[in-house]
Amino acid sequence: MKRNALLSSTSVSLGTLACTGRFALAFSVLLLLLRFLTPNLFWHLFTPVFRIADAFSTESRLFFNSFGDTAELASQNEILSNKNTVLANENQALLKKETDLEAILGSPATVGNSVSGISAGVVTRPPESPYDTLVIAEGSRAGIARGQEVFGNGGVPIGVVSSVLTDFSHVTLFSSPNMTITGFVGKSNISFLITGAGAGALQASIARSANVAVGDIVFVPGPGMLPIGSITRIDDDPSSPSMTLRIMPALNLFSISWVVVRETGTTLFDAFLHASSTSSLP
Amino acid sequence: MIRRVFTFFSFVSVIFFPWPFTVLLVLVSSCTEPLVPLAVGIFADTLYYVPSVGTLPLFTLYGAVVTIIAFFVRSRLRTGIIKR
Repeated sequence: MKRNALLSSTSVSLGTLACTGRFALAFSVLLLLLRFLTPNLFWHLFTPVFRIADAFSTESRLFFNSFGDTAELASQNEILSNKNTVLANENQALLKKETDLEAILGSPATVGNSVSGISAGVVTRPPESPYDTLVIAEGSRAGIARGQEVFGNGGVPIGVVSSVLTDFSHVTLFSSPNMTITGFVGKSNISFLITGAGAGALQASIARSANVAVGDIVFVPGPGMLPIGSITRIDDDPSSPSMTLRIMPALNLFSISWVVVRETGTTLFDAFLHASSTSSLP
Repeated sequence: MIRRVFTFFSFVSVIFFPWPFTVLLVLVSSCTEPLVPLAVGIFADTLYYVPSVGTLPLFTLYGAVVTIIAFFVRSRLRTGIIKR
């Protein structure tokens, strides 16, 4: 009797497999069902696990850093301390200028346009999260709604809230593939579209005639012009009318631990909807 | 025993380590446990996939592909005369 070697029923039978694989699959399917049926409970269960992972990551980083060159580390520390002092002085000078301008021009109408937002801890982040998304530990109970903008330390915009649970929310980062946002660069504030490149990076295509250089700060609209990152590389092909800008976010998304969520009133969510038009929003 | 350890660490690495390390562990595990890539892929997407991202649940899809390949390779080994 002839036997089909490719589709042998005995070779692919589940009965021939070790129980470990079947148990692993059953475990995953069970968790998947749990997430679909009770997503809030699911994240309450897994948040402590991610906290342990964070602690483990911090400890391991400290351990490996202990092997570093102490002289080099001390030198870097001194440079950073100096920069910190300079920035603090500049900040004080700007505050003084702002106070003087307010005295001359009058206080701006800040009432009703508060820049405060909802602070939330980050549960998961890249690179563990492969889709350039964050899970944050605040949800609709704290007032978070889909489409609100998410800011990192220093008021750097990093993404937009894409789905909300009772106590948790998902944030899609601007670096997520297919995410699109309008940005500005250069002295003449040239407008262009920034797209996510994955792994925390951004990229953009701009006309070759644009006067931009490596190191230029890229801004996005918000309450004012907000820096989102800086140009780290320009890929300029002479045969192409445009050049590609590689943009590094101003904030290290791989170590972000808390964010601020607030409504900015910009058209970010429209951009987000455009970026995710291939799928239905939950 | 070793296959259980690899399977366990594949799941743990989804939470504790960057995803390329997880992929490496899963590929090693698939040599002895063909269902592990699919299981770990579902687990990773359960944790991280957001439908509104506009992308497919890639880890589940890639896990399924690796599982099919692992089954195929096992079937070829079983039908080979060397294993008889």
